[in-house]
Amino acid sequence: MRKYTKLVALGVIFFAVTISSIGSSTARSQTERSLAGEWIVTSKPINGQMASPKGVSLGFPDRDMIFEQQGDLRTGIVLREDVGANVHPLGVWRIDGDLFSSTFQLWCPDSNGPCGSIVMRGNFVNDDKIRGTMTAFFNLNDDNTPTGYDTWTFSFVGNRVGGGSN
Amino acid sequence: MPRPGHSQKLVCALATVALLLTSASPAFAGKELAGRWVLRITIPEAPGSTVTRTFNVTLDVSPRGASLHGRANMTDEAGRTVGAAWRQTGKSVSITYELPCPGDGPCGTLILQGKVKDGGILIKKGSVIVMWDTINDRNPALYDTSTGTFRGDRISE
Repeated sequence: MRKYTKLVALGVIFFAVTISSIGSSTARSQTERSLAGEWIVTSKPINGQMASPKGVSLGFPDRDMIFEQQGDLRTGIVLREDVGANVHPLGVWRIDGDLFSSTFQLWCPDSNGPCGSIVMRGNFVNDDKIRGTMTAFFNLNDDNTPTGYDTWTFSFVGNRVGGGSN
Repeated sequence: MPRPGHSQKLVCALATVALLLTSASPAFAGKELAGRWVLRITIPEAPGSTVTRTFNVTLDVSPRGASLHGRANMTDEAGRTVGAAWRQTGKSVSITYELPCPGDGPCGTLILQGKVKDGGILIKKGSVIVMWDTINDRNPALYDTSTGTFRGDRISE
């Protein structure tokens, strides 16, 4: 009889812990992060790949990025004062819990050179820090990629300006 | 101080230049991505799928002014509106946006590329790159990718 009582007690504790952990996990997923704000994003090569297979590189400057949100419209802008005062590549973003995606157009003043688009995929380390990878699709043919476009990836880490992770 | 005859010639020359510029602008602007468009996009249903889906979106393009880039709003058939960014060199235009994902299917990022033709009212045989949210270490993009097609028709200025 005592064994039975212990078994029931253990079962009740297990049930309570399980329910509690499900509850806290649900609460976490309901607290959605936001990219809105200013970020300094630092990128670096993956496996030493300094350029795309077709030889295109964006370099690895720190990028000053500002993300905004007005309702469902989530926009982004890169401040490239290092290149020119009016150089402002534009993009958009979306978020799903800790994961986010963003896409930008590359700024290509030389109409004869290659151009392309960037897709950022990442996650929040905390509210003020993000990390992930960037994929560049250049408008150069590459038969070795599934899309047929020259494709290059690199990694990034971003810190929110004024955030606690700086 | 120019003589009156010289001055008249100068005014005449300036007026001619102004006239040429005025008449040239609309022709150039006509090929610029502008106004409201319906884009008919065909992409795979999911990463690796051979089944495609075709859907329409309405693209409201904001003028880019002197910038190389512009913004736009993309509204799908369910009435969901998200932002988009575009650039254009000559007739070649590129539009990127994030699919509005209600959570009941695979999500991704779309890059649309095409040429603005017929005086700025048509994008025919455009191509689409889809970068899905599913990680794929064997793909050079590090995520699953697909390709698709699109056509654009301008419906109003």
